[in-house]
Amino acid sequence: MGVGETIGLIHDGDSVTLSGVSMVRAPMAFVKEIVKAKRKELSIIDREPGIDFDILIGAGAVKRVRFAMLGLELLGLAPNFRRAAEQGEIEYLETTCGAITNGLRAGAMGMPFVPVKGIIGTDLLPLHEKKGTWRVIDDPFSGEKIVAVKAIIPDVAVIHVQKADKFGNASIEGARFEDVYKAKSAKTLIITAEEIVDTKYFVGHPERNTIPYFYTAAVVHVPKGAYPTACYNYYPPDYGFVKNYVSMCRAGRFDEFIERWLRGEEDEN
Amino acid sequence: MKIKIADIMIKAMAQTLADGDTVLHGLGSPLPAIAMHLAKASHAPDLVFFPVSEGLDPNPDRYRLRLSSADPDHFVGAKAVIELIETFDLASKGKLTAMFLGGAQIDSRGNTNLTCIGDYQRPKIKLPGGAATSFLTPLVKKLILWTTHHSKRVFVDRLNFLTGLGYEEGKDKEVTIITDKAVFMVEKGYLVLKSVHKDVSVKDVVENMSFAPIVGKYGVTTTPTSEDMVLIRNIDPDGIRFSEFEG
Repeated sequence: MGVGETIGLIHDGDSVTLSGVSMVRAPMAFVKEIVKAKRKELSIIDREPGIDFDILIGAGAVKRVRFAMLGLELLGLAPNFRRAAEQGEIEYLETTCGAITNGLRAGAMGMPFVPVKGIIGTDLLPLHEKKGTWRVIDDPFSGEKIVAVKAIIPDVAVIHVQKADKFGNASIEGARFEDVYKAKSAKTLIITAEEIVDTKYFVGHPERNTIPYFYTAAVVHVPKGAYPTACYNYYPPDYGFVKNYVSMCRAGRFDEFIERWLRGEEDEN
Repeated sequence: MKIKIADIMIKAMAQTLADGDTVLHGLGSPLPAIAMHLAKASHAPDLVFFPVSEGLDPNPDRYRLRLSSADPDHFVGAKAVIELIETFDLASKGKLTAMFLGGAQIDSRGNTNLTCIGDYQRPKIKLPGGAATSFLTPLVKKLILWTTHHSKRVFVDRLNFLTGLGYEEGKDKEVTIITDKAVFMVEKGYLVLKSVHKDVSVKDVVENMSFAPIVGKYGVTTTPTSEDMVLIRNIDPDGIRFSEFEG
């Protein structure tokens, strides 16, 4: 199956989470398909996304974004996200790492919410209480106040992995971040993989299977599918690509970047 | 080669850590990452090193600083994959002892704003966000805040948004603030000057803050030794640690 053939699994208005953090293992080939297919009104959600979310926002695919941090680390603020937030073009909900990761874990566990420590006393709390994503409750045992974080159940998770078989058994090598929870909480899971391996790869080494087949709706072979973000054991992040992206955005040339990127020209540098 | 402010800040950060501390650094954290290596290589060999890149205890001899703190290259010599959520579980159990966090705005109690400048609904500047700040600041015993832009813009009377909690009365929590000019600690709810960096005057420190810190007995921030500098330069031969000081 080609990456373009799975795009039908994502619909306008869906909530979507993507694998990786910052410049590591984001499913960039799939992000490109979302842009190509001109998906609209998406709610995108992730702990610490970067260029993946910024491109989707710049391309007009996003209505709502939920994140704990969205930036490009030492390479600067995420230019499209920043503009869209400041101009009121998108709705944004800032969260905090411990809440979003546990919200996804609750989704994976099938629990309606999880209690999460910390947070009380910060200005994030009233924002989320208003949105209905967090609530302060009394611990039924100790009576102490604690934040209940509502389960996060995305319509779609797209997870890029190093290896998968054709049935959707998937192996994440190195850092997993919250990707296993994302995969298990989402209603529809799409796996993109650097390599398609024979199922024999997992037989005798079941510990390699970080996301087993019965969670997976579709699996796609996409070598360099995370590029320009990194894929451990395959390639590092391409910092030059991200720097160039930032300078093109700052020069008002995002549309030109997108045209070139969709044609595959940016990826050839 | 000259010792720079970044190196003095790294040394000061390393000195906040004790042997046996369990420490996490997040994204965009070049100075804390080097400081954790420095502490572990010198006075804190049993420090447990949790990087946001998730490879437990990376090998300092092969570790090279990168533009992303999550670069998978930081897996060199790692002994295990520790998912970030696992370090959060440790924090919930009181077993994550220290965390380094930034502050776009910092007030006199060590509270921080990393969310926005101006109003949240229609911000003048939307900052990248607090990451783990709101969750972790109430949970760790040692909170180490840093800024590379010691100024009135950073040290404010009133935060535009309260992302992170600094001093909390009655709690076993040590709040240290390390800037490009000085080191402070929050004591009984007040910011107290602890040391100024070499060649920085107290006047320069105080005049670049919107509120007055408590200035009593203070020292000169320890300058890294030549041995420290060998480690710092081995980890960061490309000078990535200086990039935070630009702009």
